[in-house]
Amino acid sequence: MNPSALLQFLISGMNLGCIYAAIGLGLFVVYSVTRVLNLAQGEFVMLGGMLTVSLLRMGIPLLPTLLLAVVITAFVGAFLYQVIIYPARNSSGSTHVFLTAGFAFSLEGIALLVWGWGDRGLPNFLNSPNIHLWGATIFGQTPWIVVSTLIMVIGLFLFYSRTIQGKALRACADQPLGARIVGISTEKMALFSFMLAAALGAISGAVITPLTMTSYGVGLPLTVKGMLAAFIGGLNKAEGVIVGGIVLGLAEAMSAGLMPSGYYEVIALSALILVFLCRPRGLVTTQSEV
Amino acid sequence: MIETQQKPILEIVDLSVAFKELMAVNKVSFTVFQGDITAIIGPNGAGKTTLSKLTTGLLKPLGGEIWFKQQKLNNLLPHSIAALGITQVFQDIKLFENMSVLENIMVGCHVWTRSGFLTSGLREMHARVEEKTIRDTAWDKLCLVGLQEKASDYPSSLSWGQQRLIGMARALAANPELLFLDEPYGGLRANEIEKLSHLVLTLQKQGLTIIIVDHLLDCVMSIANRVIFLVDGKKVTEGTPSEIEQNELIRHTYMGNALSRGIRRKSEQ
Amino acid sequence: MEISKVVEILKRQQSTKILLLLCILFFMPLLNNLYLNTIVISIGFYSIVTMGFILLMGFAGQISLGQAIFFGLGAYISGILAVKYDISPWLTLVLATVTTGCIAMLLGRAIFRLRGLIVGGITLALNLVFFNLVQSMSGITGGATGMMNIPQLPSGGFMSYSLFIYYVVWLSVILLLVFSLNLVNSRVGRALKAMNLFSGGSDVTAQVMGINIMKYKAGIFAVSAMFASLAGSIYAHYISCIEPATFGVSYSVMIAIMAILGGLSSPWGALLGAALIVGITELLREIIPLFTGGTTGAYELIAYGFILMATLRYLPSGMISVFNRLTKLGDKSSTEVISP
Repeated sequence: MNPSALLQFLISGMNLGCIYAAIGLGLFVVYSVTRVLNLAQGEFVMLGGMLTVSLLRMGIPLLPTLLLAVVITAFVGAFLYQVIIYPARNSSGSTHVFLTAGFAFSLEGIALLVWGWGDRGLPNFLNSPNIHLWGATIFGQTPWIVVSTLIMVIGLFLFYSRTIQGKALRACADQPLGARIVGISTEKMALFSFMLAAALGAISGAVITPLTMTSYGVGLPLTVKGMLAAFIGGLNKAEGVIVGGIVLGLAEAMSAGLMPSGYYEVIALSALILVFLCRPRGLVTTQSEV
Repeated sequence: MIETQQKPILEIVDLSVAFKELMAVNKVSFTVFQGDITAIIGPNGAGKTTLSKLTTGLLKPLGGEIWFKQQKLNNLLPHSIAALGITQVFQDIKLFENMSVLENIMVGCHVWTRSGFLTSGLREMHARVEEKTIRDTAWDKLCLVGLQEKASDYPSSLSWGQQRLIGMARALAANPELLFLDEPYGGLRANEIEKLSHLVLTLQKQGLTIIIVDHLLDCVMSIANRVIFLVDGKKVTEGTPSEIEQNELIRHTYMGNALSRGIRRKSEQ
Repeated sequence: MEISKVVEILKRQQSTKILLLLCILFFMPLLNNLYLNTIVISIGFYSIVTMGFILLMGFAGQISLGQAIFFGLGAYISGILAVKYDISPWLTLVLATVTTGCIAMLLGRAIFRLRGLIVGGITLALNLVFFNLVQSMSGITGGATGMMNIPQLPSGGFMSYSLFIYYVVWLSVILLLVFSLNLVNSRVGRALKAMNLFSGGSDVTAQVMGINIMKYKAGIFAVSAMFASLAGSIYAHYISCIEPATFGVSYSVMIAIMAILGGLSSPWGALLGAALIVGITELLREIIPLFTGGTTGAYELIAYGFILMATLRYLPSGMISVFNRLTKLGDKSSTEVISP
């Protein structure tokens, strides 16, 4: 394989990997605080992309559009928690998962209603051009994808370690009863985690749309892939989730390059499933949790 | 006192298991004889419950061996160990909430029955006959613990003491040779304690070997043939209840009045 | 003895229900309504697949969001054997079911070393893999456009093909229903319930009671897979052309919705859930165009999601609990069935 092909795969892999990592992070944020596996995470990504498309079309400049898209999606996330999950908080984990699945279905339906069947695209942010480097093409949107993902990751890391709210979130994740005793409202933290996850999803959705387009039905496959990435990395360690996402992205890109077209998703997904079955605790985690 | 054959049924040899750095069970060795009621006692944290988890296969030992009737148990899965004839009643019972009391006991019969997916689904003759046998056996055990009227009730409607008895009935439905009782007296009222001890003695008369793990000395010392004393994962001593009682050091260091009460009760029988 | 008396009464009630069902099914074709026939056939297919799901999730407590895989395997294997290898359609049914069962056994052994929600996640991922696989292997499966010209099941020519399929499907439903009811009220059923962490069982205690967890998990997984596969095979020979889109993740979630709506506590829940969802879908298809004149796909999606959420929130034990309350079967213990 020649170096420029390899570079191309790496670039594509990075793009995809960032998105899967972001989805995995969204799943992680919710799971770590509430132990809920949010199957609607992919829908947040879809919403982010779709809202951005519509708002831009209305003539609103890029930055306010992005902000608005994120805020609206965050409220959708809040709705999911407050109206759907919270009343059923004493039910089993499987109930919660199915509740999020039902919500995802309904969101898909609403998206189909509002935006119809077709794919929606966006121009690269600020119309950044493709860069040709060493025989490979760095898509114009790539810097935006990578940078925004980096910002999300670093932001999350700082948030968890430096701020009171972040530490409170971690407290809820590790020791819900203890957190409650010291006065942290686990319900508020849970609500916040859903909103945060929704916001993360929306950002990645907005940022990936120029590259991959979006449509009403992208949510569920993205959720599944993001979930797999999170499992691979170990659902209870943020670093693991990110690693998992990158691995999945790279695996897909590599398979796309090496195999006859169409099989790449199969290869990547199967490979990861196999890895997961061999190492159920994830590649990065050292503790046996989940 | 019951005459016991000195035939070993369970042998624990140098058994050890660790949780992280803590040696929960540290080179413990003892023998349980067939037909005996053996008590494993010791203060909290002595490793008694860990020991019972090891013998049922829920925990894998770090070192040492467990032998049951010339069969090594170390690497067997819990269900295989159950098939050999060992059953346990847990400290927290864990009755199956999603089925009735009678059905709970019927699950106990699983070890010695064979109907599989096909025979059960097609309701072949063999399955039907077996089902009747299971139902009758379960009913028998239910009568043994005297809770017939609760047959079609669900575990959540039972008192703690009643759940204990159903747990025992379920274990007995397996027709075991060795029965492990993990802290059976916890949370029971005085008359329930009497009932349980009486049941245990009855079972011994029927040939069952019983191991009781507990720290409520009164109850346990009065019915046991043999006592094994653990502290901090190590076996400190073993012997008959009166031998343990006469061990001055143990008496003063660990037991205080409880032991004397236990021995007094026994001598009053 | 009191117990056997109660059992006798319940025995009669269960077989009464089946007789009632048989009567309805017998008289249905006499109405000669092709549209109704098609709907009822559709309910039949869904009932079979959902029944398998209920056995797996309602009784053994394992979440599988991959029933579409086995429905699809049944359809494609049967189709491939019939089209490419000219094997008699009836035989393909058997071969496909057995093959799927074996695959499921192996898959189950690998998957069920994991516990809890992750199993659901993995099956979801596998479903996605299956969908992509089928779409990619265009040489064998016809790719995204699907496989066509799958032969019909030989019917002997006594009746219209659609009526024939109606009987084939619903005969299967009845037989599988009896099989499931038998299974549920047997030693195996109790073993499964004992392992069910979601409804109050304990897999640790179950093991100590001698139940081989892995064997039963893999076993019931295979059973539910074979149910779905059989439905898939008949389906393939019914509509004659199949495409990957049918066997995606949405199908598996739909099955879950039907099961939860119907009620996970009994195989009857499958029929109830399937009938309700198909009924509601048809209702929407009739009503919505009157208001909007547009596509109904969106409203159905919204409705399904809504139904799932509402059921879980307000009627977690499903519609069957309403039925039970009406017929006063209540919360009592096992019922038995006289098999045909």
